[in-house]
Amino acid sequence: MNIEEYIESGQLELYALQQLSPAEAAEVERLAAEHPPIRAELINVQRALGLYAEAHAVTPPAALRERVLSSFQQAVNQAASAAEPSAPTETSAPYVVPSVAPTAPAPRYEAAPAPEAVVRSLPAESTGSGFRWLAIAASVALLLSLGANWLFYSRWQQSENQLVLAQAEQARYAATTQAVQKSLAARTQEIGVLRDEQFRMVVMTGTAQAPGARARVMYNPVSRRVYVDVKNLPAAPSGKQYQLWALDKGKPVDAGMLAQTTAVGDSLQRMKDVASAQAFAVTLEDAGGHPTPTMAALTVMGQML
Amino acid sequence: MTGPGLRPLRHGGGPISHTVTSLLPESPPAAEQQLVARLRAQDESAMTEFYDKYSAALYGVILRIVRREEEAEDVLQEAMVKIWHSFPSYDASKGRLFTWVLNVSRNLAIDKIRSRQYRVSSHSQPLDDSPAERQPAVDSFRPEHIGLQELTRRLNPEQRQIVDLLYFEGYTQSEVADELNMPLGTVKTRARAAIKVLSTLIR
Repeated sequence: MNIEEYIESGQLELYALQQLSPAEAAEVERLAAEHPPIRAELINVQRALGLYAEAHAVTPPAALRERVLSSFQQAVNQAASAAEPSAPTETSAPYVVPSVAPTAPAPRYEAAPAPEAVVRSLPAESTGSGFRWLAIAASVALLLSLGANWLFYSRWQQSENQLVLAQAEQARYAATTQAVQKSLAARTQEIGVLRDEQFRMVVMTGTAQAPGARARVMYNPVSRRVYVDVKNLPAAPSGKQYQLWALDKGKPVDAGMLAQTTAVGDSLQRMKDVASAQAFAVTLEDAGGHPTPTMAALTVMGQML
Repeated sequence: MTGPGLRPLRHGGGPISHTVTSLLPESPPAAEQQLVARLRAQDESAMTEFYDKYSAALYGVILRIVRREEEAEDVLQEAMVKIWHSFPSYDASKGRLFTWVLNVSRNLAIDKIRSRQYRVSSHSQPLDDSPAERQPAVDSFRPEHIGLQELTRRLNPEQRQIVDLLYFEGYTQSEVADELNMPLGTVKTRARAAIKVLSTLIR
């Protein structure tokens, strides 16, 4: 078979996009194992798709990390404890505070030899049995107190750890909230423009050289503010940038450069204030702009109604 | 958890000899091999490293598919568990770890929208309407990482649409052919052209 033709057929792309039936997929895997060029191309295709996927990366909310990792842990532990019921893992220790703490210290002081030695030495020194009982009672009280101390100390330590965790969590929430508030403020301002009745919408449609292009200008003749909203503009070649013009009685007035983010339709952009205009147009100019519009590079244009 | 699953990957194709593997244009970096070894050994702490490394990429793709944040969070959670449990089926000779985990996550997300028949409503949305609060991942695990804007600049709208439908919307190639009113062969060649453009971006 012709390897080049096979590579060109698009079959590898469909494999990587998981579009093939199991039989077809097995065929691709077999050919990739046999023919290094096919294999190399397949890896290329997978990397290209990986790149595409990664371009969409979004950092998940900070709080999600804890949630996902602890629920993952839970799911894994459940599966593990189904096989072996009482096998605590070191990672789960901080989450099972109450059940571990009270039982752990008990075996420790019962097994310790020191208290026993104290109790045994008493009969030699004391004469009265009353004093002996008192001593035993005191020893027991002391041991209980030591045990309780140990218990309270470990509980306090655990609370301390939990507090630190909670504080870290809170700091992360605060950071996230701040970021959200910032973008919310920006969007609120945009909505304000869209709802303001003083703003006039000017729809700009593509010229012969960019028939699919579309953009809008929102113009407020009272405050003189101008915003631009791109629906679709051809990608600007490197070194070029879109420039907005206000046409006042046929005379073009520079209304500013479109930022790269605006040109791909990401958000509204406030442009230079314009005193008076009856139409708007966008031309493709050298980056940084030009004092007069290059009419040959006129991309979209629209009259104010 | 069933559905299209790990479809192509689950198939044990022919054995791949070592000479072929060494011809790879790029073998996985040592850090990735190490992570794979730890996951294979069922080392639970490896999942923390895994999350820190891949969550942004996986979450971005899942969010792009299901388009609702809470649901994306659930799917990411499911994906972590699934990756852990089906890790033995990962075959490093068939592709990078990232390729495999992407497919697992994508399949889960696509199952999700299919199960809700979500598609009817998301159909009519423009393809490039991305969530407004999109932030780029802070640290990328691949030096060639590029942004969404760069992609928009390089792919023409038809190319992007084809890849998006196949990759993010869970369309089959014949559904794409119906939707765009074109022969199946054209879907194939357009997908290839689009991916070719993408691979020129890899240095």
